[in-house]
Amino acid sequence: MPNRRASRNSYYFFVQEKIPELRRRGLPVARVTDAIPYCSSDWAKPVSTPLRRPGMLVPKQNVSPLDMSSLSLKSDQALLGGIFYFLNIFSHGELPPHCEQRFLPCEIGCVKYSLQEGIMADFHSFINPGEIPRGFRFHCQAASDSSHKIPISNFEFGHDQAIVLQNLYRFIHPHPGNWPPVYCKSDDRARVNWCLKHMEKSSGIRQDLELLTVEDLVVGIYQQKFLKEPSKTWVRSLLDVAMWDYSSNTRCKWHEENDILLCALAVCKKIAYCISNSLATLFGIQLTEAHVPLQDYEASNSVTPKMVVLDAGRYQKLRIHRPGFSHFSSSNQEQRSNIPTGDYPSGVKISGQNSSVRGRGIIRLLESISSSSSNIHKFSNCETSLSP
Amino acid sequence: MSGRARVRARGMARSPSAAEVGRMQASPSPLSVALSDSEASSSSDHVGTSRISQKYEGGLSSGDAGCTVKERGGKIRREMTDLSVCTREKLAHVRDCKRGSSGIPVKLVTNLFNLDLPQDWRLYQYHVTYSPDIESRRLRTALLYSRRELSNKAKAFDGVILFLSQKLEEKVMELSSETQRGETVKMTITLTRELPASSPVCIQVFSIIFKKILKKLSMYQIGRNFYKPSEPVEIPRHKLSLWPGFAISVSHFESKLLFGADVSYKILRNETVLEFMTDLCHKTGMSCCTQTCEKQLIGLIVLTRYNNKTYRIDDIDWSVKPTHTFQKRDGTEITYVDYYKQQYDITLSDLNQPVLVSLLKNKRNDDADVRMAHLIPELCYLTGLPGQATSDFQLMKAVAEETRLSPLGRQQRLARLADDIQRNKDARFELETWGLHFGCQMSLTGRVVPSEKIIIQDHICEPVSAADWSKDMRTCKILSAQSLNKWLVICSNRAESVTESFLNCLRRVGRPLGFNVDQPKIMKVQENPAAFLHAIQKYVDPEVQLVMCILPSNQKSYYDSIKKYLSSDCPVPSQCVLAQTLNKQGMMMSIATKIALQMTCKLGGELWAVEIPLKSLMVVGIDVCKDAFSQGMVVVGFVANSNPRITRWFSRCVLQRTSADVADCLKVFMTGALNRWYKHNHGLPARIIVYRDGVGDGQLKTLIEYEIPQLLSSVSEASSNTSPKLSVIVVRKKCLPRFLTETGRTLQNPPPGTVVDSGATRPEWYDFYLISRVTCRGTISPTYYNVIYDDNGLKPDHMQRLTFKLCHLYYNWPGLISVPAPCQYAHKLTFLVAQSTHKEPSLELANSLFYL
Repeated sequence: MPNRRASRNSYYFFVQEKIPELRRRGLPVARVTDAIPYCSSDWAKPVSTPLRRPGMLVPKQNVSPLDMSSLSLKSDQALLGGIFYFLNIFSHGELPPHCEQRFLPCEIGCVKYSLQEGIMADFHSFINPGEIPRGFRFHCQAASDSSHKIPISNFEFGHDQAIVLQNLYRFIHPHPGNWPPVYCKSDDRARVNWCLKHMEKSSGIRQDLELLTVEDLVVGIYQQKFLKEPSKTWVRSLLDVAMWDYSSNTRCKWHEENDILLCALAVCKKIAYCISNSLATLFGIQLTEAHVPLQDYEASNSVTPKMVVLDAGRYQKLRIHRPGFSHFSSSNQEQRSNIPTGDYPSGVKISGQNSSVRGRGIIRLLESISSSSSNIHKFSNCETSLSP
Repeated sequence: MSGRARVRARGMARSPSAAEVGRMQASPSPLSVALSDSEASSSSDHVGTSRISQKYEGGLSSGDAGCTVKERGGKIRREMTDLSVCTREKLAHVRDCKRGSSGIPVKLVTNLFNLDLPQDWRLYQYHVTYSPDIESRRLRTALLYSRRELSNKAKAFDGVILFLSQKLEEKVMELSSETQRGETVKMTITLTRELPASSPVCIQVFSIIFKKILKKLSMYQIGRNFYKPSEPVEIPRHKLSLWPGFAISVSHFESKLLFGADVSYKILRNETVLEFMTDLCHKTGMSCCTQTCEKQLIGLIVLTRYNNKTYRIDDIDWSVKPTHTFQKRDGTEITYVDYYKQQYDITLSDLNQPVLVSLLKNKRNDDADVRMAHLIPELCYLTGLPGQATSDFQLMKAVAEETRLSPLGRQQRLARLADDIQRNKDARFELETWGLHFGCQMSLTGRVVPSEKIIIQDHICEPVSAADWSKDMRTCKILSAQSLNKWLVICSNRAESVTESFLNCLRRVGRPLGFNVDQPKIMKVQENPAAFLHAIQKYVDPEVQLVMCILPSNQKSYYDSIKKYLSSDCPVPSQCVLAQTLNKQGMMMSIATKIALQMTCKLGGELWAVEIPLKSLMVVGIDVCKDAFSQGMVVVGFVANSNPRITRWFSRCVLQRTSADVADCLKVFMTGALNRWYKHNHGLPARIIVYRDGVGDGQLKTLIEYEIPQLLSSVSEASSNTSPKLSVIVVRKKCLPRFLTETGRTLQNPPPGTVVDSGATRPEWYDFYLISRVTCRGTISPTYYNVIYDDNGLKPDHMQRLTFKLCHLYYNWPGLISVPAPCQYAHKLTFLVAQSTHKEPSLELANSLFYL
């Protein structure tokens, strides 16, 4: 023991810090001495100490000096202006597979959204679920009670299915031509699709609306912007955030008045908030009232930078710990090791970096993982920078 | 008792769900068993519109054909698969002897009875075929039983397989019988197996025999247990009646075949659904009568006394009246009135009542049509306690008084059951024909291991009572506590003054504990969840150490939204307290002490320790719990200590989509825990002992084949030379055996630390029972430990004592608990996630007990 202690220098501690990462890579390192050979290359790399600059707003052009600007800017424009619809339909539970009627649609919510403009319009309606199949009243009641709490019968606000569907289509597609893309969360897709088909059948309107998943949308935007694919887990956690649960002007009037969290409209709006908050900021868009519930957002911003951006810093930290995130984190680590003067907030500058690095070399991946633990502290500074 | 009080004190009292009651309390009373016993019946014959059991025409009506191997076989079989997993033979150090030796021997009475069989006893299994083939099981049975060759023999038949205790003369026998219609049916009986008494199939047959015997004692099977409607205990004040009964099992223990019985009660309401409905309509008026009835009744479990079966009300069909007809299985139409008159000799009085609809479970698992039973409200009795009744203290007390039997009362009930079985002529005959002899109640010798000393900061204290040492440590400093400098209190305007006085109290109790509490920033908000959450979002910054919320009501949305936000979105420890709790003036000091202790833990403090002789030991608790919100999701919690003193805890939790309660992610968890340990101790632990809770019947094999390899691989990868040694112990709080000590003329609960590792254990396992709790009322139930994997090779003695030591380390309760602390922590964690957050907690909190 004593001689080991004598040999402790900064390199010792550097190696010690690396050990968990090395283990995660599956290397047999029990002690510092075992780990030394694996760390020497990292030690040789220049390490930048990021400066903390609270409230710094990063101008777009500053973000990436190495940006292949023309190409990415063009696609950016298309992305920013692109209009998406987020749709959700709630049901009174799900009936067992042998039943003909699998769902009982009772509430619908839809928002029109673009990264540039935020939420441009919304649509909400309660739906008359129709007669509840005999014997399933308990099942439906229990499902409703545990989620959206919409009464299963004698609900005064329920509209006729045909009318609701007509209104929805008018909302999504007022003019003839191509249908815009409509998205919902992947977990809800089967239900929403079934409900749409069911309502089409009962109303005699037929429009083959294609329903895509929000997760794919986020992955797509991310890929287009940063030429990297984020992990599904990261996307999922990005979309599942509690912070706007009680935000004003998010739920429908009925759910707001009865103080019930689960509302079809709120689900759609929260998707928009999450995308605005995490992706739109990466495009340098000034967040407006239409992007996120700003009054809550600003208030918190002034006091607590920690919670302004929930995704960036926090999920990057998570990523370091989770093997599932390793792909994604590599992009961040990469730039650190390549740009010695990397004092930009990590969440923003990713794009430039990636363009300089091609492929997904396994060595770089491993390097980046191993370097990740040493710069955890760094991510905290990106949180403030994203505020308007 | 403790569990409830603690929940209240922390301001998270919610409607006591079945899980809460069952788990938290580990209630010694049979009450919880009977309460949770509310699953709708899935028994074989129902009064249904589509499948109505009809009397078989004529003389071949079969009285004793009901019991079969298949019926209710699910549970038995799952237990059987567990029994075929022989883990002990792989553990060299306990192959010869798994008994410990330390401690004071104590004589214990059990609820097990000897079942004696002759040495050469055999069970003969036959296969029976019919020509022409016959569908009806009743008819098959009746035809077979009518034969003279079988009439005097002990037999059990499920329609295909016939069990006999005596061999037939020939291996293949051809018999013929005549139906009522005059058709001749040929039956071929072929011997397929001869089974020794130790075979698992025999255990199934024994269970069937005892089912028959209990039926002869006029007990009825409801759910899994047997109840006696003829001797109800009435509680007229609350319109309740309790049916006494027993949960029974027959199985092979260490060397003998034993019959076990435990007292159980069925709670029934002395009110028919019809009475309930008319009452409701009088109260609310006719206009919204149907709606309120649906609201109040749907989902309740009813019992029909004419056949003692339970059903869940899934729907009410207002369009059907008792005078309407339905189609019987044979195609004939009959009115409900006539049907009940013919079948049960019951005359319906109200001919305008609607019918209740109950979905029947599809036993055959084919996705055919949905089967529904129509029930007449007049004949349906409500069972269980209504939702609001569980919060009715007087009612619960009255029920508990009857159901929470003292050790002596329990023993008397058991003795009477044994007496009845031996005295009843039919019962005795049944046993005798099978060659069984119902013996005496078994007693065995257990050991009381020495009590433990509690280590606090400046001294070691020997608590007066191991059940609760809060008094012993009132003036003692706890092991370590972070001082609370920057924190937030959020309360409603109304609760301002009570909050102030509570904070004063908190500071006062904190000082002697060594827990320094500074003045918090107090935010006053409106009384709604949104306002609380907004305030948290607005004022929590990275320096805030803890957020305390004084909740105006126990509405679940307050607690859920706060916990969800503060445990995953913005990871800060949080403490919720009900304002109502703080209004109890006289108890302020003790409430404040409890909350102070809990807050210290949430900030990463350590309260007390026990002496652990093993240096470098990591103990792990794993629990699995179903998510309350989304079906098909289970929450897996993992808690492990990160210091050799076993006072600091690392935790991980994940939601996984699966149908079985088997954990997927243990490798990641274990590696995380080992990393954490390495960081703190600059080395790996020498030994790891995993306590796995939340294991259902029949999962033992999966555990061994799926979970242990995950743990092993992460342990072996952790180090290249000497990897830590691993042991895995399955912990079960529900087990049939009970142990009582005899003192003088009366019986008592055994003292905490009582270990039983013989007699009531299984020969194929390395298992033991440990009583690590004290109760003042009712009978205590032991916790059952089964060591399924053991590299450590600790002596059984040491394993038992270590387990007992770990029962002292749960920081939410200054006393012994019924399971090792890591299990209880893992349970708390999964419970928080499954009930409130439904989201993986942030890793930033992984090193504190934020879930307490």
